[in-house]
Amino acid sequence: MKTRREFLKATAKAGALFSFAASAPRLLMRSALALPPGADQTILVVLQLSGGNDGLNTVIPFADDLYHQSRPTLRQVAAQAHRISDQLALHPRMAGFARLFAGGQLAVVQGVGCAKSDRNHPGAMHMWHTAEPQPPGPQTGWLGRAADQLWNPDTANLPAAFVGAIPQPFASNAERVIVPSLRSPRDLVCPPAKAGSAPGDRLLDGARRATSAAQANSVRIENVLKAHAGDYPQYRLADELRTIAQLIRADAGIRVFFTELGGGGIGGFDNHAGQLGNHCSLLEQLSASIAAFARDLQRDRLFDRVVLMTFSEFGRTLHENGRRGTGHGAAAPVFVVGGRAQGGLIGTHPSLADLDQDGQKVHTDFRRIYAELLDRWLGLDSREILGGAYAPVGMLRA
Amino acid sequence: MSMRQKLWLGMGLAALVGRVAVAADSPAQALPAQAIAALEVFRPRAVLAPLLEKDTRATLALAPAIQRATEKPDFRQFQVLVQFLETQLGADWPTALQKLTGGGLALGLYPQQRTVFVADAEDEQMLRQLHTLLWNGAQNQAALAGKPSPAVSRQIGGRTAYSLGKNEAHVLAGRRLVWTKNLEDMEAALQGAQQGGGLAASPDYQAARRAVGPDAAGMLFLNMRALKLAPGIAKALKPENGNPLAALVFAGLGETAGTANWIAIGLHVKPHALALRLVSDATPAGTNSPAAFALPPTATDGALPNLAVPRQIAALSLYRDLHRFYAAKDQLFPERTSGLIFFENMMGIFFSGRDLTDDVMAQAQPHIRFVAAQQQFDAASGTPVYQLPAFAVVLQLRHPEQFREVVEEAWQKAIGLASFTRGQRAEPGFIIDRPVHNDIPFSVARFSTAYAKDPGKMDVRYNFRPALAMPGQYLILSSTDGLARDLMDALAREKQHPPTPAAQVHGVLELEGGKIAAALRANRGFMIKQNMLKGGEVKGNEAQIDGLIGLAGFIRTARLTTGVQQTQLELEFNWPPPVQKAAQTP
Amino acid sequence: MAPSAAFDPQWAWARFEPDAHRPWNLALAGHLYRRAAFGAAWPQLQRALADGPQQTLDRLLRPGAEAAAFNRQFDEYETPPGDDRSATELRAWWLQRMIRTPHPLLEKMTLFWHGHCAANNGKVESAPSLQRYLQLLRRHALGDFRALLAGLVQDAALFATFDAKANRRALPNPGFPRWLLEAHLGQASEQDIREAARAFSGWFVQLDQLRFIEREHDTGNKQILGSTGNFGADDVARLVLAQPATAAMLVRKLYRWLISETAEPAAALLAPLEAAFAKDYDVLALVETMLRSNLFFSPAAYRQRVKSPVEYALGMIQGLETSVATQPLGDALAGLGQNLLHPPTTRGWSGGRDWLNPATVAGRLRLADALLRGGPYSENLNLAALVQKHGQPATIFFAQLYVQDEPAAGSAPDPRHAAYAAVAQPEFLLA
Repeated sequence: MKTRREFLKATAKAGALFSFAASAPRLLMRSALALPPGADQTILVVLQLSGGNDGLNTVIPFADDLYHQSRPTLRQVAAQAHRISDQLALHPRMAGFARLFAGGQLAVVQGVGCAKSDRNHPGAMHMWHTAEPQPPGPQTGWLGRAADQLWNPDTANLPAAFVGAIPQPFASNAERVIVPSLRSPRDLVCPPAKAGSAPGDRLLDGARRATSAAQANSVRIENVLKAHAGDYPQYRLADELRTIAQLIRADAGIRVFFTELGGGGIGGFDNHAGQLGNHCSLLEQLSASIAAFARDLQRDRLFDRVVLMTFSEFGRTLHENGRRGTGHGAAAPVFVVGGRAQGGLIGTHPSLADLDQDGQKVHTDFRRIYAELLDRWLGLDSREILGGAYAPVGMLRA
Repeated sequence: MSMRQKLWLGMGLAALVGRVAVAADSPAQALPAQAIAALEVFRPRAVLAPLLEKDTRATLALAPAIQRATEKPDFRQFQVLVQFLETQLGADWPTALQKLTGGGLALGLYPQQRTVFVADAEDEQMLRQLHTLLWNGAQNQAALAGKPSPAVSRQIGGRTAYSLGKNEAHVLAGRRLVWTKNLEDMEAALQGAQQGGGLAASPDYQAARRAVGPDAAGMLFLNMRALKLAPGIAKALKPENGNPLAALVFAGLGETAGTANWIAIGLHVKPHALALRLVSDATPAGTNSPAAFALPPTATDGALPNLAVPRQIAALSLYRDLHRFYAAKDQLFPERTSGLIFFENMMGIFFSGRDLTDDVMAQAQPHIRFVAAQQQFDAASGTPVYQLPAFAVVLQLRHPEQFREVVEEAWQKAIGLASFTRGQRAEPGFIIDRPVHNDIPFSVARFSTAYAKDPGKMDVRYNFRPALAMPGQYLILSSTDGLARDLMDALAREKQHPPTPAAQVHGVLELEGGKIAAALRANRGFMIKQNMLKGGEVKGNEAQIDGLIGLAGFIRTARLTTGVQQTQLELEFNWPPPVQKAAQTP
Repeated sequence: MAPSAAFDPQWAWARFEPDAHRPWNLALAGHLYRRAAFGAAWPQLQRALADGPQQTLDRLLRPGAEAAAFNRQFDEYETPPGDDRSATELRAWWLQRMIRTPHPLLEKMTLFWHGHCAANNGKVESAPSLQRYLQLLRRHALGDFRALLAGLVQDAALFATFDAKANRRALPNPGFPRWLLEAHLGQASEQDIREAARAFSGWFVQLDQLRFIEREHDTGNKQILGSTGNFGADDVARLVLAQPATAAMLVRKLYRWLISETAEPAAALLAPLEAAFAKDYDVLALVETMLRSNLFFSPAAYRQRVKSPVEYALGMIQGLETSVATQPLGDALAGLGQNLLHPPTTRGWSGGRDWLNPATVAGRLRLADALLRGGPYSENLNLAALVQKHGQPATIFFAQLYVQDEPAAGSAPDPRHAAYAAVAQPEFLLA
């Protein structure tokens, strides 16, 4: 197996590299290659599960009679599920997650949500997207504000990217940074351009730097695309995570990736009817795709640089409805995956005997997770982004 | 040039050529056996006669692609050359082409974009003359310009191969002309054709030739062994690509084609009609295939004949067992789309929690028919700013007495939900009426005209007056009440003469070109406007749109039949076309 | 931004008259068309060279009657055929208008005002409403700013954008007044914003139209910007216009738009323009002063702006002397960060160097490549014919057309490569 350093060296040697850039400012090109913008920096991947994931059938309280009584057709039995404690098990179709959990690379943060959620999709999702800072009515999302903090026009970096085919969800809306929507690493590959080297003023130099950076990115991505693309299942989410892995491997400098499962709009995890088969399929896509992503990153020892976090706008009701589905609930688990995640269960499983309108009660404000990722993982100032201070939940290893 | 463009070019070339007798031997003998695709015209005259008719030529000239080509400066040069050759050969171009290629034509496509074109002339003398004219022309032109002549010749396997420049090479062998892009390709072509009797002798080609039948005037042969390896084709063979609706419509057509080693499209010329018949050696879908929902279980069952309504544009009749289809969703579309989950949520509400597969889908018989027809608008109710056709689906219920009211309830819930959602966005909603037609009450939802402004430019939504009618065991879901009434009439007529299903056929699509042209013409202004968004100018747009309308009128009816057992695709065009009318009506 | 070198205001705003030291040339003609239009075709540049700067400006500022006829025609074209919720077609028509208009400065200024007070169809979800908003901007884009502002505080699309479709007496909505005060005065006290929100009460958006519901209006006295009275939304606009800071803010913003975004202009430099503008808020007069000035044609302005994606793409398209398909173009521009009618915030696009990051530069180069190839944008593009028409070698022609410079080293004679090589230079990223 090639190490990352060897790979970078091979990349730098590639003859094609300079063929187009004969007259590019050598210094700019060389420095861009010698020190790729994102080398060795931490990376956050945020995965939105659209529609409101049923936390109770994802992390299953198999030992709780209330669970079995309330879900005559949807309940999962312990025998097939993957036990993660004497009370809880992961859904039978989540073998990949079970392996990550056993390896200490999956943290399950329980009882997370927005205390004020009114349980309608756009409203609840908007809370997760904006993080509800003060003053109210923000025009940007929390990831957009993080991107603005990471943005430095002098270095022409690319702080964040959305990967997926749906319109970009609001979380990445930024005031200044243009966050691209990518469907493949090829979207950052561009035809050759000469950055030019005659003395220019500050603005022209900036334009040159951005051109060089785009060209250098493009070359590195093309080289990564020639290499083994990793083994992923044939799901859209898996394709998107593969794209993210390739961009990480190409050192495109992107610190925040945002992606989605469920389609972004109607449907997705919003299983009001005939939930059983559809939810199984979604969880399998989720688990198998993330497991493949983790395996792929471990190949180049990149897994320690990456943390992936999932979220959904709310959990679902304990009782199933007349259509063999569930309604909009409240708290749900958040998954955090990474080489430096603090694997294991974090927080208690909210009681099924003490519900809020048939939904599990929130005991962990979602912004505590954001704050920990912003402060401890990305090295940013979470108070400025979240408009308040939130205690970490301890899902990352020190 | 893409493979598809090449195929079209090949078909176009073939269309421009030949009149007289069938050659004693096939020009495909001169094609190497490894062709990815090949086109052979056995009887050029039969193919060409209708194409060379004045009306046909006038109509084809309206095609936007041809219009664009003739506007290019190269085309003028080409015309000059053609005139020169006509004078020298002493024949007008259609005659000359026929004499030069009337003995048969073949075009083969090979890897690395190689093409080999073979024409058997009827008049060997003229072929020689043409060769000499072009050969001398190339040399003279170079001499005038003071450049070395690009025209060269070379001996290949005992034959003389000529090249007039870097993009041309040919060999004359008696009446036969073999043409390639360059001398290297020619060498490969001549060697390839010598081995084992060329493409004409390959077992697949012979099987295809037998399958298209002796009455075929020409054949397009596709070598699926080779084509399946191309990624583009592999994708095209899976048109549904996880999309439930596409999976339902295509019913495994792509997978079936994927089992073929060859596919051939036979060209059959009939008086005033042209048929393309698709044959292949594909393995028919088995009863265990996920696509078995389109397999009529008995030998005599299949899709019903299409319904006929006034102003009909298109009709589609399918044999699809919806219950079987939905029961196989795990195999058909393992990755759930958000649309599917939303659909199930909604159906759960509309059908009050009934199981979608077993309690809803199972209520529909597998005979499903669709109709699209032009709408009539009157001054009283107003005309929308652009006019969409009305469309409807006709199903048959297994247990109409028990299920009719369930459907009515579901439909009214859906209309109510649509009104409610529109209301949330402060948009006008529907009003539900219960008119009676042929003594049968049915339901119509219409938008109130209270919000309408200019009756000549009504909002697009006034194209829709959703209707639900359930005469007998039938269920009609229509986008307008007008079409629902027409369908109730059509079904009443059908009851007098119960239809026989087309045995083992699972799809019949029929289009009426004249009606399509009329529908397009009704929206001419709108289409011109839309073309401006594509960067066109008003003037150029008008000609393009009129060309398109003219072409649509060219096809009187087209009929596509897909069968299960033999994967057969049939297309029929009627001609000569009503050119003048279509092109001149404003 | 670094403060600009001190210019003598009198020299700076005097009319530019070319002389031996500052000759009128192709570079300045290109500069003028980049700022006062969306780039130029070769015949326009040639005519500008012949006419000189001031005469060219006469045409750019006050085109003939055909401009009015053109706009009437396009008002009809762009009218949505129904209550469309998506504005992508309207966006495409706007781009067509920018490409084809005989009065490009009007569209340039409409775009400026869109960025000043940015309605967002993500909130409005109504093409007819957005069309009325755009027509309002266009009507006053080069007119009286007081009339524009009076129209803006009566615009349904803006109320929807500010999440203020219902301004109840009991629950005043601060979004719109906050914009009104902050965008013109730079800052505003929470007290003023609260009071101004009361003045906005009573306005509701119903069926896409703005309606005043008397009983929901707070008729009590409000204290706003030092004045007290039973104010309404129009009064707040009037109070804002009476503040000297408003004229100063707009002059500064327009300076950034038309002259330079690299250097912060000195207060003394802008003072004469502010004084003139504050008198009658005549936008055309202000724009005219700026565009005709010595400063505008000086190195202090030359390539001192980063092209927005719209300017980048249209700069290429204008040179091609043909229009292109603007539905895909609108999508491509959205991908580059400028989704017209869907701005990131109500303050529009931050612009400047924020336009350029490695993804957007790669995207610009991809767009250039696709546009010049014809791609999904044009079926009729014929670069060879264009080069032939103007009778110059392709490398020289495109370098002159697009960057008014010598061809970049190693440009290939193939017209498409030559055109791409010209626009792929970093200089072309700048306006």
